[in-house]
Amino acid sequence: MGIVITVTSGKGGVGKSTTTANLAVGLANLGKKVVAIDFDIGLRNLDMILGLENRIVYDVVDVMEGRCNLAQALINDKKSKSLYFLPASQTKDKDVLNKEKVKKLIDALKESFDIIMIDSPAGIESGFEHSIFLADRALIVSTPDVSSVRDADRVIGIIDAKSEKAKNGEEVEKHVIINRIRPDMVDAGNMLSVDDVLGILALPLIGVIPDDEDIITSTNLGSPIVNKEKSLSAESYRRIARRILGEEVEFLDIRVKKGLFASLKGMFK
Amino acid sequence: MSFWDSLFGEKKSTANVAKDRLKIMLSHERTSCKLPYLDDLRNDLIAVIRKYTKVEDVKITSHNNENIELLEVEVILGK
Repeated sequence: MGIVITVTSGKGGVGKSTTTANLAVGLANLGKKVVAIDFDIGLRNLDMILGLENRIVYDVVDVMEGRCNLAQALINDKKSKSLYFLPASQTKDKDVLNKEKVKKLIDALKESFDIIMIDSPAGIESGFEHSIFLADRALIVSTPDVSSVRDADRVIGIIDAKSEKAKNGEEVEKHVIINRIRPDMVDAGNMLSVDDVLGILALPLIGVIPDDEDIITSTNLGSPIVNKEKSLSAESYRRIARRILGEEVEFLDIRVKKGLFASLKGMFK
Repeated sequence: MSFWDSLFGEKKSTANVAKDRLKIMLSHERTSCKLPYLDDLRNDLIAVIRKYTKVEDVKITSHNNENIELLEVEVILGK
């Protein structure tokens, strides 16, 4: 039986889809059979980040409505052969999902995949509720700015209320990913530090991604950065993937290469 | 603080300002999220208090400081 991991944030534009794509590829590269599902109905994005936009025939709503079967809608990644992708529908009706249909789909996917990664839409409306409904784990992505942290806090507060697992007396396992941190600005006292954000959100950390221009260029190319060898952000994603599988991995030193700025390392225990 | 200091003196880092603002904001938001019964409680309190006074409204604020959650009920009786 596979596990369901939902990537969420509250605020839009903090890097949910990029995180989902890179972790899905990272987990597939570690030998897991992974399916990444885009739940942002009407605003499909994960397809372009994964570079699979030209291969879409059917989408997640087609599967739920029975217009095609699951195997027809799943797209196999070019490089990572154990990664599959299920695109969001571009329908304007964002309330097209319903709980029974979502459950049927996820249960079917659990049969044949180790990990089901759901890219949640921004906001706390029905799209978010469906994304978190069957989650075993939640990864909350936040950038170190006030609006993102505030929205992350709100989302964390309602995850258990919307989750089936919590209704059965269990808890959704929650971790924070801090995205786009700039160690130079943290050192200058002009950006919330990892400790600041964790102190506010009061959840365990699973990874920190440095702000990196290469993420933009790899998104331009539709080739997730996690496959790039010499890259701090890629290495950060690879380590998060290993932590998801339960491995204890040391946190990466993401200080700026020239050594002008003090290491961030001391901030992680 | 001298004039010179106010021009060139150390300012509080913007990250610390951000942290403080967030903490204050969230201590309010979290309690409203944690106490879904707050509106009902308020209506019941008003009903009871109106049995004895002419008070029309009760102000309830919640505070969340470190380990203590505080619910403050303010009843203004007037003159």
